Amino acid sequence: MLDATQLLRFLSANTPRRLRVIENVLVGKRSVSTLYWGMRYAQLDWLGYDKRLSRTEVDQAAQSLVNDKLAVMADTKVKLTPEGLTTLNATSLYQPQALSVRLTVDISTFWQRFLLAIQVVSEASFENRQYYPLQVPWAVKQTIKRWFHQYREASLAEQFRTFLEAFLTSLPTTQANFLANLLVGHVQPGKTITQLAQTAEMSLAEATLIQTDLVCQLVQFIQQEQAPVFTTLLAGLVNSPVSQSALQTVQAYNQGQSLSTISQRRHLKDSTVREHLLEAAILEPLNAFDYERTLSPALQTKLADIFDQQSIDEWQFDQVAPLSLEFWQFRLYEILRSKQDDQ
Amino acid sequence: MISDSQFYQALKQTFGFETFRPGQLEALKALGAGKDTLAVLPTGAGKTLIYELYGFLADQLVVVVSPLISLMQDQVATLSVRGEKRAAALTSMMTYNEKQAVLAHLNQYRFLFVSPEMLSQSAVLTAISRVQLGLLVVDEAHCISTWGPDFRPEYLLLGQIRHLLGDPLTLMATATATDHVKADIKAKLQLPDAEEIILPVDRQNIFLDVEKFEVLADKDERLETLVQQLKKPGVIYFSSKQKADEMAGYLNQKTTCHVAAYHADLDLETRFKVQQQFMLGQLDVICATSAFGMGIDKNNVRFVIHYHLPGDLESYWQEIGRAGRDGQPSIAILLYQPGDEQIAQFLSETTVPEPNEIDYYYHQKAPLAAPDNKANLIWFYRNHHVSLERVLAGFEKRREQRFRALQKMLAYVRISSCRREFIRSYFDQTDSEKPTHCCDNDEQLDISALGLEASDNERVQLASTDWQSIVTQLFAH
Repeated sequence: MLDATQLLRFLSANTPRRLRVIENVLVGKRSVSTLYWGMRYAQLDWLGYDKRLSRTEVDQAAQSLVNDKLAVMADTKVKLTPEGLTTLNATSLYQPQALSVRLTVDISTFWQRFLLAIQVVSEASFENRQYYPLQVPWAVKQTIKRWFHQYREASLAEQFRTFLEAFLTSLPTTQANFLANLLVGHVQPGKTITQLAQTAEMSLAEATLIQTDLVCQLVQFIQQEQAPVFTTLLAGLVNSPVSQSALQTVQAYNQGQSLSTISQRRHLKDSTVREHLLEAAILEPLNAFDYERTLSPALQTKLADIFDQQSIDEWQFDQVAPLSLEFWQFRLYEILRSKQDDQ
Repeated sequence: MISDSQFYQALKQTFGFETFRPGQLEALKALGAGKDTLAVLPTGAGKTLIYELYGFLADQLVVVVSPLISLMQDQVATLSVRGEKRAAALTSMMTYNEKQAVLAHLNQYRFLFVSPEMLSQSAVLTAISRVQLGLLVVDEAHCISTWGPDFRPEYLLLGQIRHLLGDPLTLMATATATDHVKADIKAKLQLPDAEEIILPVDRQNIFLDVEKFEVLADKDERLETLVQQLKKPGVIYFSSKQKADEMAGYLNQKTTCHVAAYHADLDLETRFKVQQQFMLGQLDVICATSAFGMGIDKNNVRFVIHYHLPGDLESYWQEIGRAGRDGQPSIAILLYQPGDEQIAQFLSETTVPEPNEIDYYYHQKAPLAAPDNKANLIWFYRNHHVSLERVLAGFEKRREQRFRALQKMLAYVRISSCRREFIRSYFDQTDSEKPTHCCDNDEQLDISALGLEASDNERVQLASTDWQSIVTQLFAH
């Protein structure tokens, strides 16, 4: 669902960006190269946002921008023209607030649970037992059955009303209306995303993004509020953004095992162990990874001197040849500095 | 043997009705007497009531073979609304564990909905043969004949499967069947002596109209006018999902009506919402694809328009049967542009493999990951030890059959005499009377004379959309 307008938001007027990185991030490829450049483009929150995206769609969107002189392309690297930048600024695309929640929470299952929970509570409040339940996967249905059984005595309708009012008040009115219109309850079938896009005269891609981001904000709100009725709806859906295998590698690394020990014990190639560490460094917060084990303060000072005044995207591995570093250590330093810059 | 009074008592108790609709009691009596039954009742006559009520009285598992997942889900939901929670659909959308959970507790279910493909799986067959099966239902039984060889060949295994299940009492239900299709259904299920309960297929309250256009723009314009002019709600059928989406957008823009698309590509949430909006009268028109939406049970649909030509008269009759289930005047309009038959022919034959494809796949070793449906189809026959010659001949015959079916459909478009008589004779039913308003070949279409003109104040008013009122309305105080 990537159209030319949506592609604009991933491009820069300063430096050409690789179309394949943008595509691979959206599709959700987890190679270190994709993750690293996704981080550099500040696009990681979008990791796996559009798993069914095709290369043709991406190429067509890029070509369309080039045809309209909004971007220039060389070797599948794309850069916004000044007109492109003006258009991007004038288009007032929706700016997502909480998209990174996607990386740690299965938000599509959460949304199915949340919608069904509201419907069940709404119908129960009207004492209606004969209604068409939302069609959801079997597991979601079972979860909500158990959930309702657990909390049915807890004046759920009142809790939901208070909760929804609190959350929706925290949003700008148009967004609060947008989310509320999606809800399903007693004689309220809700609006489809297509209908909301039509009403607001926006593209389906834009409307879908708004929905995704609002659901992410809803999850954040639940995580902050910590009311059991709602946090239970997140049970089993929260995961580390880092893959399971990489997590095990990082755990061993944090315990002080050497890289060769890790690769022997876990039956992994040396390169895989390094990729796991880089994946975790990229996806975890700065303080969650022991950078100093690989990059001692002294080494960091030397590196800082070499790259003084130079922007990260211009660094070359050749420049650190005198330090006889491995490439992955160089990349780890790039990650560290990127994260420090963001703080 | 179940007595009439037991049937009436159950009807009152479970459905709250005093009387049966035509055909229902006859079918129930046949089943109650232990006779396998073929019930041909028009759309909307209440075929599902027959097996629901039988299942209720027999107090044994009823397995319903159904062609579409969406249809199964709708039926499970409908049963649940009526308070019958012991119903499940076993579908390919469930995980292995979910399916196992259902199969392990089959004795706790009263109704199990399955596709023929699912039912052919040995684990499913084994689980079902372990419980006491009260009734096997083949719903939309015409699929056995109209689909079959080139599409979902598992339908052809149903006769064999029935034996494997110990020849349970069987109900074959469909809305449309010619003498040929009826014979075919019985032959494929190996039940030549099944009792037949046949009601007239004719729907007297539906006016039949065909309109022809030289260019596409005229057809679109006419569609727009009709949608604006006709009394709502209505359904428009398309051959493609893209076209249904596109025209839903177009009609929303060009008319004052609320229009939504409804097809197999919609996610579950959207499908639920469109369906419920339509049921609650918040949508005027649905743009649907023909392979979808069999489950919508709305009795006041005033018009069914076909934007594309269906591949055969059975499908056409089935689809226009959604109109006027309440018995009130309704209309079926077919919009035809010369050349439409090519789309129909393409869609109709797209599933039938060509001789060179048959030869190629038949001799190829089946790889683990199947490349496409046609390869699967041919391997299906090879794996069931059908010779190459018979497969070739079978598909050749099938192609001719599809072609003839389309020619019949075209003949309906082109005739200048009464369309209803044409349909009746096609379905081998010529004995009923003609309604006052019959078809556009008998009298010129006059929407207001038919009582089908939309009144000005008819436009659906939608509820307010600010979040405060939505939240207030969601929960009772």
